[in-house]
Order: sequence, then structure tokens, then C-alpha cells
Amino acid sequence: MSSLSLYCVEALLILDGTGDRVYAKYYQPPHSNSYVQNASLIKNVKKQKEFEKRLFGKIHKHDTEILIFEDHIVLYKEYMDIILCLVGSIDENEVILQQGFTAFRDSLDLILDSGIDKKNIQDHFDMVLLAIDETIDNGIILETDPATIASRVTKPPTNEPQLHLDLDKGLMGAWGFAKSKLQERLQQGL
Amino acid sequence: MSTHTYKKFENSDSGDLPDKMTIYQDCMNEFNESPVNSKRCRLLISRLLRLMAQGETFPESEATALFFSVSKLFQHQNDSLRQAVYLAIKELSGISEDVLMATSSIMKDVQNGSDLIKPNAIRSLTVVLDESTAFSAERLLKSAVVSKNPTISSASLTASYHLLPISETTIKRFTNEAQEAVVDLKPFPQNDVTGDYYPNSTFITQYHALGLLYQLKKNDKMSLMKLVRQFAETNNLKNQLAKVQLVKLVNDIVQRDPQLFTQFQQLLYNWLSNKFESVQLETSKLITSFATTNPRLVSPELFAAAIQTLQGLLTVPRVTTKFAALRILNRISMVSPEKIVICNPELESLINDSNRNVSTYAITILLKTGTAKNISSLISTITKFIHEVSDDFKIIIIDAVRTLSLNFPQEWKSILNFLIDVLKNGEGGFKFKNSIVEALIDIVSFVPQSKELALENLCDFIEDCEFNEILVRILHLLGKEGPYTSNPSLYVRHIYNRVVLENSIIRSAAVVSLSKFALAKNDPTLKDSIVSLLKRIANDKDDEVRDRASIALQFIESSESTGDSAKDLIQAKYSYDYQSLESKLVSYMSDSDAFKAPFEGSTVRRITDDEAKAMDLKRKQEQLQSGSLESGAGSSGSLESGSTPDERADKATYKGPSVDQHKEDLLATKYADELLSIEQFKEFGTLVNSSNSVALTEPEAEFVVRGVKHLFKEHVVFQFSITNTLTDVILDNVSVACTPEDPENSQLEELFTIPIDRLAPSTEAASYIAFRKSEDIVMEGFLCNLTFTTKELNPDTNEPFDGDEGFQDEYEIDSIFLNAGDYIKSSFIGDFTTTFDELPNEEVAVYNIHENISLQEVIDKLVTNTSCLPLENTQFAPNDSNSHVLKLFGKSALTGVKIALTVRMIKSSKGIALKAQGKSEDATLCADLVNGLM
Repeated sequence: MSSLSLYCVEALLILDGTGDRVYAKYYQPPHSNSYVQNASLIKNVKKQKEFEKRLFGKIHKHDTEILIFEDHIVLYKEYMDIILCLVGSIDENEVILQQGFTAFRDSLDLILDSGIDKKNIQDHFDMVLLAIDETIDNGIILETDPATIASRVTKPPTNEPQLHLDLDKGLMGAWGFAKSKLQERLQQGL
Repeated sequence: MSTHTYKKFENSDSGDLPDKMTIYQDCMNEFNESPVNSKRCRLLISRLLRLMAQGETFPESEATALFFSVSKLFQHQNDSLRQAVYLAIKELSGISEDVLMATSSIMKDVQNGSDLIKPNAIRSLTVVLDESTAFSAERLLKSAVVSKNPTISSASLTASYHLLPISETTIKRFTNEAQEAVVDLKPFPQNDVTGDYYPNSTFITQYHALGLLYQLKKNDKMSLMKLVRQFAETNNLKNQLAKVQLVKLVNDIVQRDPQLFTQFQQLLYNWLSNKFESVQLETSKLITSFATTNPRLVSPELFAAAIQTLQGLLTVPRVTTKFAALRILNRISMVSPEKIVICNPELESLINDSNRNVSTYAITILLKTGTAKNISSLISTITKFIHEVSDDFKIIIIDAVRTLSLNFPQEWKSILNFLIDVLKNGEGGFKFKNSIVEALIDIVSFVPQSKELALENLCDFIEDCEFNEILVRILHLLGKEGPYTSNPSLYVRHIYNRVVLENSIIRSAAVVSLSKFALAKNDPTLKDSIVSLLKRIANDKDDEVRDRASIALQFIESSESTGDSAKDLIQAKYSYDYQSLESKLVSYMSDSDAFKAPFEGSTVRRITDDEAKAMDLKRKQEQLQSGSLESGAGSSGSLESGSTPDERADKATYKGPSVDQHKEDLLATKYADELLSIEQFKEFGTLVNSSNSVALTEPEAEFVVRGVKHLFKEHVVFQFSITNTLTDVILDNVSVACTPEDPENSQLEELFTIPIDRLAPSTEAASYIAFRKSEDIVMEGFLCNLTFTTKELNPDTNEPFDGDEGFQDEYEIDSIFLNAGDYIKSSFIGDFTTTFDELPNEEVAVYNIHENISLQEVIDKLVTNTSCLPLENTQFAPNDSNSHVLKLFGKSALTGVKIALTVRMIKSSKGIALKAQGKSEDATLCADLVNGLM
């Protein structure tokens, strides 16, 4: 029966149009040994990739939103060349997982200005990662409001403030200082 | 690396990543630079993380170096770089050493960082702290929990949740703060919105706080109750997830103590109409699953309301909700399909849903709730639809149709036509075709009327079948069933075609199949033609085919002189009970002396075809009941890696109401083996029949006793399996004393008792009592008393105390009855009505039952009492009707004579009236059975 654990998301995947992973994160409670249902999937990258390939075979070009796959609930959405998936535990309330998934999807929609596609995700990978981090924390759904998530995702810093100007000033200052000292010496010497 | 390729990666437009070493070097260089270039560092971190997301990893030393370099970036006060740094720290902490060194920088951020950074800092505390340092974050986490900013509060609550397993004492001190966090509705401070987005608090902090509170209080039932009351009655919970969590909390409480359910009835009732669909779903799930384990505690109104809620959810546009509701309904349909019949209109409209997962679920549920009335329309709907779905779904549907064919044998025509249609026209792989053929085989064996039509179509199918395995199975079936049809030569032609056209595997299967036609009917022309065919095959180029043909020829020839024995070899009338055969063979192999004598096959229990069918049918129907057939298909079919709408988890949580019959069969075999291994019983000869085990005590009694009756030709043995459920008492010298109810006229003579010497706590053992009886059918009741000596157990040694004599005790258990049913073995017959009419001796009896029990309970009791096999799916009483006809069939275990029963029953306000009509070749048996029904 439904467990009361907050750890309800087992993995978040972003797969491309051929089933290769663009992003994959398998969650595991950080300090607990009791939760080993997914042990092989968490540790073994090869198994993870096989799992993703099998899953891809099931969901690619089948727009059904939700299915049960190998004892997991999988929610997914297929875009042009990318599929977003959320893998949840089999006992979890489907609508709760749906909430987490929608938050993930819609926040990506908000932060990626020109829509969700593979190139956009790769170009703004840091922002995508931040959005995911703000949505799911180690398998706990952290936030379900896309705007809140998007508001917490920072854009990459713009170019550094004019540090080199300071540097120039310093050099010039040093040069000026040296010049004045030299002049002083020369005058004294003269 | 050339400058050209290097430049390529500098260009952020490119989707490609540089190789691992380049990234590593770049990161090491750039992170250690001073001053820090924040833009470039964030780009590099992003690349590093992308690399790691691909599954790449670093050796520990490199990871540690990276971690160290990344933590240098803390000196730079740019928030957007800082967020990236936290991501990197979380990813690297898993693989590097010395993660503790970042703790102080992180803690500084928790105290003084901006509101944007604080949550990130708090959450990354989880990965750098361990058992010994967790306490140091106590003050920080505590003050963050009560923060007015919901994100900070949530971050702290989740961090505490993660840390709970390693520092329970620390986190326990937050109980009050967490409680406050549930009650406190935290909006976002409106004034300092910086970015382009306006965060809108969903109050999800409540969910995290409630999750943490549960973990802190989970061992204390009373305070959990208090939690529920506090948050359910005041309308404090705004967050959807938190509300669902609360429902789960109630579930947890009632699972632990079912009696508390009544207290929550009203609450659950209200939740069924909650505005959140997730709450409605969770509540319905709770009610319906609780009702399967504790049916008495759930009021019918509440259950109906839950079904109604689910029914309403079927019509919402959101796929996930529909899917979830269907999942719950599907679970119910396995246990009690009649309860969700009211959803049928909604389900029917979902058949054409554009979402295949949804429509498949709808169909499988409909097939289970289906009644004789709507089957043919259902089948025609599926026919339109099945060609469009994927193989996995097709298999699920085929399996559902197969169970349907067992349930409604009278509908065989439409089902058969459907199966033949998909077999011939359906595109699909091996597993799909195989499941169809399997379904057809089931129909052929259990619905004899369908035999000829099905076989003819299978013949057509093998003309053009690419799968060897399926061909072989069909050939076997043709050989088994074909000879007894009206026109066997038709099949001979088809089979011989295979010999001419196919490969050696199929040829050899066809040879075996052909040979079975030779002797089946006393038709010399058929036999002659088969012999000539076989002679031709005997020149085949393949060894195996040749061998089989020669053997078959030899058998056919010798059958003229020896008669039946050769016939038996070609067309076996019985098979062995494989389990006892295996154990006999194993023990034969392990004893080297035994090789002096040939293996004695006659002691192994033999099962005739009819019996095997009866067992098979029983098992399949039981599976259907407990819903495991689907799950079973899930693990054996192609669905192993597929999306079975059924899942193992469901099976574990939703146990059907009936005991698993198959397991009981196995148990009976085990008992029989144990019995026969006891020296004293060897002289009784072979075991004629064993009854099902009957409970003689309540299942929750201190000592649980189950009785099994074993019949020998002139003896009867009662076996009492006794379980000691106490943990601190040992029982010595346990036996059951049986006294005849009517000692004057007892026809049984007690011979001896085998007691159990010692019954340790939580173990099970068997005591036996043997009687001599005449060869006739003897029926008697016995009063039973459990007698034993109890001794208390020394907790240190787990042995009884020295010198403890114990004291004698007796324990009254239910009586055990030897009745007519014990002399009967259930058996299968295809055409019940004809057989019934043909049997000579008739006996009629009428019963009136005044207890208030349902028809179904009466039927169950009749089936157990008579040990007959219910046929034509009459073992399920319709819910909406007050009358029912039960058809039972069996064979005498002693003589093998057939007996058939029809029991008509009518339920009225006064009770249930039964009229049993029995017919048999043996008049006494018939009379005994009919008069001893109840």
C-alpha cells in the first residue's frame, strides 16, 4: 500500500529522439540504507542505459502520458527531438507524480525562451539543472509551482564587471608613480 | 587537440561535449585562477555536470581535486555562480573524499547568504554532513525551518528529512518547529521579487513538514491520531500533496489497527468529495483496499461512495486521473468484479479512448465484469480495435478473453470466432500467437462443443505458420483430440502435409500425432492408411523422424497381439503426478541399493485425463478469482519487460478472498507423501483419496488445528496439523482424541494414534489417528479434543525449565466428519447435461437452511462438502438474483463410477431452500451423497 515516505520520485530522465540520454538522474535517499528497491539501477550506469533504451522503445511515438513500466510509474512528454520522463514508485499517487512532472515540464518551458528542444536544453544545461534541482531534491518533490521554480533559477552571469580597467588604472598608477620618482631622482641628481 | 576542435567547444552553440580530460583540465585551471571569471566557471561547471549526467565518473583522487577546486569558488560572491557551485558540490560529494571541508563555507551561506542562495546552501548540507557532524547544523536548520520564506523552510525540512537516518536525536528536537510549519501558511514576500517570474506559494512546505512529522512520530499511534485530527478538522491544509499525505497517514493507522476505521468513516466520506482529484483517488484507494482485507468494517454506503467517486473520475479529461482511477478499479475487478458493474457505461465509452493505455485497461476490466448478456457485443468491439494496438496489449486482451471463455462456456462461439480471426489476420510476434493458441487449447479442452470448429481452424493455421513451437503444440493437440472427432481423416491429411513440407522438428511431432490416429477408432481403413503413411516416413532422412515412425509402426503392429498396453503407449490415458514422481525418483537415485530392483512406477499417483482437466480448470478459475492469472501472464509472457497494467505490487496488496487452491493441492500432495513415509501406514496399502484440509479452530486461536482425511481401502486416517502460535510455551505429547458422536453404532474401530512428541513455539506438526473400516462407504462424525502437556519456556535457553513437569490440558476443537464427499474425486466432463441424463440411478433430497447466509456461501460449502467439480461456471452465484443452479460432477475414489449433481437453490426471506438431484451409476453412493450434503 502507499508508503508514507516523501521519496516518491525514482528518476528524472531527458532522452533524445534516438533514446540516448541527455540527462539522467536516479534518486536515492542520501543517508538511508533501507530503500534498496532500485539498487541496481542507482549504481550501475550500464543498467541505467539499458533501462532507458527499453523505456524509450515503449514510449517513443506513443503519446499516452503515463504508463506502468517494470514496476515503476512513468510519466512522460515527447517533444520534437526530446522526451522528458519522470519515473516514480509504483505505489505513489499518480496525480502527485503528475504534479511533480508538470512542475518540471512547465518550469523548463518558462526558462527556455524558445521552447523545449534538444539544442536549447544542451545550450542552457546549467539552467535546466538548476530547475530540476529546485523541483526534485533527492527524490522528494520540492516545489510544484513552475513560476516559483523559474524564479529561483539564475541566468548565467553576464561578462565580468570591468576588472581589467582597475588593472589598467593600477598599471598606469604604477607607471605614473615610477615616472614621478624617476623624475624626482633625475632632478635631485641633476 | 588542434586549436580548431578546441574552439569548437568554446562556441556554446555546439551541442557536443569535449572529452573528459579536457573538461577536467579546464576546470582545474579555471577554478584555481584568481580573480575568478564567474561566467566561464559556470559554463565549465555546466559542462562538468553534463559529462556526469551522461554517466561518466572520475577516479576518487581526481574527484577530490575537483571538489577542492570547486569549493575555492566560494570566495566569489556571485549568486548565479554560487548556485552552480552547489550543484557541483552535490554531484561530486558522492565520489570524492573530504567533503567535510566545504561545511564551513556552506554554513556561512546559510547564515548570511541571500534568500536566493540560502535554500541551495541548506539542501547541500545534506551531502557534506555525516553522523558525527550532523549535530553542528542543528541551530541553523532549526531557525531555517521557522523562516517566513517558504522555500527556505522547505529546504530545511527536506534536509532534515534526509538527515533523519543518521541523526535522529538532533532532528527530533525540531518536532515543534515542524508542527508549526504545517500550520503556518507561508506566502512569498511580495516586495522583493527580483526575476521575471512571480512565485506563487503552493504551501508545499506543509507537505514536507507533514512528511517529517510522520517519520518522527511513526511509532506512536496516539500522536499520529492526534495529528490527523488536528489537521483534518481545522481546515489548515491547503497543499494538495499534504492532503494526500494525510490520507496516507489515516491508511497507515487503520492498517495497523483496523478497528479504528469506524472513527474515520465520516472523514473519509468527506474526503471523497474533496476538490483535489488526488485526494479523491487516494481515499478511494484506501477504502477499497481496506475493504478487501476487512470487509466487515467498511459500510456498504462508504464503499459505494468510493466506487461512485472513481466512476466520476473516469470522465475527467486528464489522462493521469483516468489512468489512476482505472488502476484502482482494475484491482477491485480482480477481487470482486460485481461491485464495479455500475461503472460499465463509463468503461465502455473509454474503450475508444485515444490513449491506448486507458482503453486497454478499460477493456480488461470490462472483460472481468462482463456478464453473459454483453459478451458478444464486447467481443465485437474488441475485434474492431485489437489490430491497432501493440503486441503487449494484444496479449493482455487475449488473456482476458481466455478467462472469459472459461467463465462463460456457453458463449464459446463468439469467443472462438474472435480468436480465430486474430490468429489468422492479426499481425504479431511469437508470444502473441502463442497466447492465442493457448487460449484456443483451453477452449478445446474445456468446451467440447467447440472442438471440431477450433481444430479445423487450427489446421488451416498450421498450413501457414512460421513458428516451430506453435506448430508442434498444435500438432500435439490434433493428435490428442483429433482421433475422437467425427471425421479424423480430415486431420490426418493436414498432419501429413506437415510431414511433407516442414523441417525435422515438426516432422517428428507430426509422426507422433499421426500414430495416435491409428488405434483410436476401430477403423481398419484409417489404420491401414496411417500404417502406409508411417512406412513411407520410415525412410525419412532425419534420424529422429525415422526412429519415431519405426517405433510407432512397431506399436501399431503389436497392438493386434497385446491389445491395450501398446495403445497406452501411443495414446496415454493418464499422466503421473509430477511432483511425487520427482521426489520418488530422487529418493530412488540417492539410494544405491535401490538400483538392484527396477523403479516402481506404480506407486506414483496417476492422474487420468479427466482428473487433470478438472485440476487444471479449478486452478485456472481460482487464478481468475484471485486475479493472479493476469499477473502470471505478466511474468511469463512478453510483458516481462513490458507494461503490464498489472503489477506484482498489486498482487501482494490485493489478495483474493479465496484460499489459493493450487497451493492447497500442493499441500495435499505433501501431506500424502508425509503420510506414506510413516511405517505404520504402509500396511494399509495405497492411498485412495485425501480430502481438502478443513479448519477445526478459528485461525486466530492459540493452537490452530487443520484436519485432513486420508482414505485407504480398509482404513481411514485423520491427520491433524497443529500449529503452536504461542511464543513462550512448548507442547509435549500432543494428540487429538476422537470419540464417535454415536459410539453405539460406530462402524470404525480405532487402531492407534501417533502423537507429536514436542511442538516448539511457532511450529507446525502433524498428529495422526487411524481407524479400520469396512470396504463400504462409511460416514461418521467425531468429537475432537486436543490433549497436550504445556511447559513454559526458559527465555534464556529456549528450553523448558529443568524439572518442569508441565500440566495436562485439553482444548476442544470442532468435530471432524467423514462424509460421502470424501469418497469422491472431482472430475471434468465436457457435456454435463447429456451425461446427467444418461446416468441411471436418481436420488432427490430437499434441504431448508434457516441461517442468514448468502447463496455464494452455500455454494462454497457444497463444493467443499461434495469434493465435486462445479461445471459450466456455476460456482459463482449471481448477485442480482435469488435463485441459482449448481452443477457438480465427480467420480468415486474407490470404484471410479461417475456421479453428477444438480442443486437448485432459492433464497427467500425465510432462508434458503435447496433441491438436490443426484444421478450416478452407483445407487448407494448417490443416495449417501445427496442425503449428506449439508
